[in-house]
Amino acid sequence: MRIDQLPVRSPVAGLRRRGLSMVEVLAQSVSALAPSAAVVAVPPFVMVQAGAATLPVLVVGTALVVLVGWCLTAFARRMAAVGGVYSYTAKGLGPGPALLAGWALVVGYAGIAVSALVGAVAYLVSFTGLDPPGWAVAVVTLAVGLLATLVTVRGIRLSARVALALEVVSVGVVVAVLVVLLAAHRGGTGTGAAVVDGPVTAGGVATGLVLAVAAFMGFESAATLGVEARRPLVAVPRAVFWTPVVAGVLFVAAGVAQVVLLRAAPVEVLTGDVPMAQLADADGLGVVSRLLDAGIALSFFACVTGSINALARVLFSMAREGVLPASLGRTHRRFATPAVALAWVLPVLVAVPAVALGTGARTREVLAGSLTVSALGYVLAYVLAAAAMPVFLHRIGELTRPTLVGGTLAGGLSAAVLVVAVAGASWTGSGVMVLVFVLAWLPGPVLWWVLRRRAPAVLARVGVYDQATAGSLLPGQGVRR
Amino acid sequence: MSGVDRGVTGRQPQAVRSALAVLQEVARAGAGVTAKEVAEALGLPPATTYRLLNLLVGEEYLVRLPDLHGFALGTKVAGLAGVVAPARVPTAARQVLAQLRGRVRAGVHLALVAGPVVRVVDVDPDLPLESPALVETHLHASAVGHLVLAEVDDWRFVVHHPDRLAALTPATPTRAADVDACLARVRAVGWAGQSGQLHEGVGCLAVPVRGATGQLVAVVAVSSARGAAPVEHLDAARASAGDLAPLLD
Repeated sequence: MRIDQLPVRSPVAGLRRRGLSMVEVLAQSVSALAPSAAVVAVPPFVMVQAGAATLPVLVVGTALVVLVGWCLTAFARRMAAVGGVYSYTAKGLGPGPALLAGWALVVGYAGIAVSALVGAVAYLVSFTGLDPPGWAVAVVTLAVGLLATLVTVRGIRLSARVALALEVVSVGVVVAVLVVLLAAHRGGTGTGAAVVDGPVTAGGVATGLVLAVAAFMGFESAATLGVEARRPLVAVPRAVFWTPVVAGVLFVAAGVAQVVLLRAAPVEVLTGDVPMAQLADADGLGVVSRLLDAGIALSFFACVTGSINALARVLFSMAREGVLPASLGRTHRRFATPAVALAWVLPVLVAVPAVALGTGARTREVLAGSLTVSALGYVLAYVLAAAAMPVFLHRIGELTRPTLVGGTLAGGLSAAVLVVAVAGASWTGSGVMVLVFVLAWLPGPVLWWVLRRRAPAVLARVGVYDQATAGSLLPGQGVRR
Repeated sequence: MSGVDRGVTGRQPQAVRSALAVLQEVARAGAGVTAKEVAEALGLPPATTYRLLNLLVGEEYLVRLPDLHGFALGTKVAGLAGVVAPARVPTAARQVLAQLRGRVRAGVHLALVAGPVVRVVDVDPDLPLESPALVETHLHASAVGHLVLAEVDDWRFVVHHPDRLAALTPATPTRAADVDACLARVRAVGWAGQSGQLHEGVGCLAVPVRGATGQLVAVVAVSSARGAAPVEHLDAARASAGDLAPLLD
């Protein structure tokens, strides 16, 4: 393309440009990751699988996610995308794999939004100490989902700030609770030690690794704020890299604390719903466990807003390319948010959990099911994006040895994690969730197949981003040759 | 956190020198030069060159072209040079201004615009601007400046000290929210008008002159000492701006 042929308008115009500060961009990644919920909920699951190898597994899982994050920064420094990992993949592997990754990402964001909504409601109920009937839980789910959608339609700025405030409070609560429990800890060993120091098997370690990686899902979602960030090519890579690093430190530290605490606890606590809350109850610190419930509920709510923000922007990107109906690419006139996409997301988001909970399914089952589905989506998207990175850099002539090695390593290891996740889900009796994922993900390959036959021109547009416009170039400069 | 990049500090003179060399090489080679070509021309290690290019693109001194492998100078570079070259105005354009001066009973001026830089190039000889320099340096306080700021993505990166805007008169907008509101109005109507923000008792109307691609290339300003923006001359000023567009693009 010649520089006098640059468009006047960016293909993703309509969103509020260049408004979000570094902290607000970071808030998007942090809220979608939901660190306090992850650090409390995930380590006990890993212990059950990995036994004595729990801590090494947590460290390796963190390292793998940080490596994937580093791969994504290679894109984030070079293009300000709205479709996040979807648009990145398009620039490396082309439109077909991008649609596979993009739809996997859509399933991932939708799945995590559903499970965070269920989680928020469950911990809210636990916080109030009531035992409401199924229909009441469904109504609360509807209300919380509606509230989250309104916050996101009102503006990314508001939702980022709300989410960050909630996350700071809830991480503070979690850290305080862990410190209090460690201070009250009297040592000794309980029946939990049999699990915490349990045997190490290859299958257990692999499944534990999948769970550890799943704890970070959503860390890359700042990549959907390319248009809205004030300095996108600086802020987005920082958020995408430092979110898993800092969350990882918290994650491993909380893992160490829980290994110490749960070794001394009865094994029923370890396999219970929220081991930390039960430990606090056992220590006579009932108020602490209530506090923990409130903190995690807030974290989950922030995660709902973060996930649907990202989900709506991926759909918005697809609509602007012509892959999805153009109406999904319309923005709100006053708030400049992808309001139509958000409105389409809402019914799916609340209907699944409201129906499931209303018909009497257990919270834990819905949570685990939606998490499994979304984990498969995320990891598939990570595999494709990491593999796309060296190809992309080679295409633009900026490949170096570290990026080649890093991208290959991240892609290969994530692919291994994906295989283990699929196999593991099938072993542990949640094979039906793999089927649900495949069905939910099917539109991706179908879109590719249909567009390739019917509208190759649309396929060629896949990967739109906030590209240079005529107004961003210094007028009157020389042109090469 | 914004505005400060700790990647390169004052203690890394070689990095700063290399970054400036990269900027200069892109200017020399011309728009469309690739990262590899820059590295070869400067004899820098490729990885270093890519990092510096990404840094300069992040700060918007450079722009990555839509093919993602070519680079060009960004509009921000105009702020470094501080001048619009060439600042010559064609005779045909001066004649258009003279015609407008004959029709309206107010001062008619022309300012050229490149990115965020304004240069007042033709001041009405009979009803001159009190201070062209103030117009060029205090974009938040003049109608011409409002048009220029309404074009950029974020005016905070263009003005000096966005959190401490100078109050030239009591009417000057100095709070960020006031400037935002003012620019939103300008974007909505497509022209700017202010009264008493630059000099007390002086109003000004500014109409954009746009090039073929819709870019702001110049501004026609109509000033009046009668206190209010001379909006009665809006249509005449717009007609002249239309005539000037092909002459100044």
